[in-house]
Amino acid sequence: MDENEILVESKQYIVVKLDAEQYGIDISYIDNIVRMERITRVPKAQSFFPGVINLRGEIIPVMSLRNRFGLADKETTNATRMIILKPENGAKIGILVDEVREVVTLDESNIEKTSSRDEQGFNLLGVGKYKDTLISLLNIQEIINELDNA
Amino acid sequence: MDLSQYLEMFIDETKEHLQNLNDQVLVLEAEPDNIDTINEIFRAAHSLKGMAGTMGFKRMQRLTHDMENVFSEIRNGKMGVTPDLVDVVFKCLDAIEEYLDCIINTSDEGENDNEEIIKTLNACLEGGSAAAPIETVSAEEATPAEVAAPAETAPADDDKRKFLHIDIADFEKNAISEAKAKNLNVYGVTVYIDENCILKAARAFLVFKGVEAVGEIIKSVPGVQDIEDEHFDFDFSMLIISEKNIDEIKKIIADVSEIKEVIIENYEIPADVEVVSSVQEKKEKKKDKDDGKKKSTPAKTNAKPVANRSVRVDIEKLDVLMNLVSELIIAKNGLVSASSSTLDENKASMQSFNEQIEYLERVTTNLHESVMKVRMVPIESVVSRFPRMIRDLSKKLGKEMELIMTGEETELDRTVIDEIGDPLMHMLRNSADHGLESTIDRLKLGKPQCGTIQLNAYQDGNNVTIEVIDDGAGIDVEKVKRSAIEKGHITEEQAEQLSEKEAIDLLFRPAFSTAEKISDVSGRGVGLDVVKNKIEGLGGDVEVSTKLGEGTKFTVRLPLTLAIIQALMVEVRDEKYAIPLNSIVTIEDIPVSDIKYVQQKEVINLRGTVIPIVRLDEVLDSEPREEEPENLVVVIVKKGDKQTGLVIDNLLGQQEIVIKPLGKYINIHKIISGATILGDGGVALIIDSNSLI
Repeated sequence: MDENEILVESKQYIVVKLDAEQYGIDISYIDNIVRMERITRVPKAQSFFPGVINLRGEIIPVMSLRNRFGLADKETTNATRMIILKPENGAKIGILVDEVREVVTLDESNIEKTSSRDEQGFNLLGVGKYKDTLISLLNIQEIINELDNA
Repeated sequence: MDLSQYLEMFIDETKEHLQNLNDQVLVLEAEPDNIDTINEIFRAAHSLKGMAGTMGFKRMQRLTHDMENVFSEIRNGKMGVTPDLVDVVFKCLDAIEEYLDCIINTSDEGENDNEEIIKTLNACLEGGSAAAPIETVSAEEATPAEVAAPAETAPADDDKRKFLHIDIADFEKNAISEAKAKNLNVYGVTVYIDENCILKAARAFLVFKGVEAVGEIIKSVPGVQDIEDEHFDFDFSMLIISEKNIDEIKKIIADVSEIKEVIIENYEIPADVEVVSSVQEKKEKKKDKDDGKKKSTPAKTNAKPVANRSVRVDIEKLDVLMNLVSELIIAKNGLVSASSSTLDENKASMQSFNEQIEYLERVTTNLHESVMKVRMVPIESVVSRFPRMIRDLSKKLGKEMELIMTGEETELDRTVIDEIGDPLMHMLRNSADHGLESTIDRLKLGKPQCGTIQLNAYQDGNNVTIEVIDDGAGIDVEKVKRSAIEKGHITEEQAEQLSEKEAIDLLFRPAFSTAEKISDVSGRGVGLDVVKNKIEGLGGDVEVSTKLGEGTKFTVRLPLTLAIIQALMVEVRDEKYAIPLNSIVTIEDIPVSDIKYVQQKEVINLRGTVIPIVRLDEVLDSEPREEEPENLVVVIVKKGDKQTGLVIDNLLGQQEIVIKPLGKYINIHKIISGATILGDGGVALIIDSNSLI
């Protein structure tokens, strides 16, 4: 099926895992994916910000996606990754995920739009169907805008 | 034409010219006969006019044009400089500045025609030149016709044929004879341009272009270069060779707009007579020419004004350079930490390794210094507008005062310079309005009639100190206290306990003013608190010292730069933090038993001074310590003359650190002023000790 795919309105997503749930992040936001590094705690920051890291001379705040979604902390493993996002016209920010799985290409027909928000009040871009799994597509822009306005 | 790309340049240059004009007019006020100054003003006004015209700012152009006219009259000795005139000119400069502000904000000059000022200017012009012996050259004259013909107008027609006076060299003679041999026409032409013409160089250029299309120009007076540079009055002459007849050529030239008169005749080489009288004539001509030159190009003869010998560099490019240096420093720090971890390697290689580090250290230090210097701007760029301000204040307040400035060449980081202007202005206004007594009071007190305000700047280690000193009444501490009680800032009991210093600090509270009457100079209650906030925001501090009846001194201390600092690295639990070295007084080892309590707050008594202490681990939400050690390491930091002790776990040593921002997403408490990257690649947060005092 992949070979015959029509390129209209199809986007690539990076699939990450938090516990058992799969989330998709639009690849155009992604600057870099790095292994877990030492995070420096920043006192009195928001609870879902474990701290900052040094990425090649640049200091980047790192947000825990688990904490942001109200999940409990989980020990870092060999699979834990930091995804460095670079939004258009914005500064870089790192997000901490349990695991990075793969890159998938989804076109419109594979995405089911959802207008409902999940229990944390997050608006998903939609739910993507890939093979026999479901991927919740994160609205990165909204997550970042929310931080901007805070 | 899209001029937006030039807008920035226009704004910068207009600013420079305005500043220059302000300075020069101030000089002129003091020495009304200084011809150099008048020339300089004329030249600057002229450039302003030209620039405004090119950018299409008609109102600004008109105003500067009229101003230029006035100075043109003064320069020609037809008018004198009067105090009234200086006032008008200053008003004029303010109006231009208004236009400029408008342009900066909206790219448009706005709607204000400033008719009033233009009228006054023209009134000056008429008043001045009516008294003068020679006819007016006013731009506003309805019929610019004959009046403005060059001053030496004697037997009109003859003298108008200025081309007759053109010196011709041998080769030019040959060219003319050759042309005649080929039956071509040789004409002498003198073109008069309308005096109201603003772009006379452009008009002249069009004339040249038109003529070149039908013939050849053998010679022009003044030369082409001078004409292009507008170094001529309102006429120029040339010799041309053409096939066309005289009327055709005349028409071509007269078709160019704003040409007042064209005189064209067949040209004959002045015969032998010329050879005989040439010496004398040449002399005359030379004189003529010199006169002309002196008139039209004062800048050339009177030593070019010392231009800002600077290159405008995009601040972003500097930032890149700065970042590179930062990385170099980080790399060096990495080497240092690598060397200490490989101690057990063999000794010889260790030594060369160390030498390399020292070398690298030397390079980075030099590089750092030179990059810093690139970012440094003399404080002059900020303070140069103050003399003018004080002059205006002096008139407005009816007090005699003078401003003495020293150390204008002291340099500060660009980022600091940009911010320091307003606070300094506030302080000067404050001194002028509140500080100095009225002239009558001064005389009663037996002080010199003219009040003095000093603005001194000098470098002091890693800081720059700026002092604003007045020899006025000083601050009446009792009055400040009373005022504070009335306004409900403090109670009477508190007031009694206040030291003089603390009372003066009340002045820096928001919405505090002791001025009994509110003037529009100062005294609206906004001021000193804003000054203080701004300066502290820049990492500096303000101090006041005063002596009743003798004067007040404000001392502002500012850091030289904000990007790279010396810091003390400390450890709290297993986290590393940096404390800027310039705020540290001492480091003390204090037994826990020495801690006393005052109002439930922990304090220590350090050699007679009671200093409150702050436990950094609590402030920073660190994990609690299992057991309290017997001795505490306390870093004593200061802000102004207040001190606080910060309790830490461990000292790591002094290091040069590069300040980096933490990014905008994460909420940062005010105790953290930034972060830095350590030699091992880790991140340490920088503690803003000021916020803890």
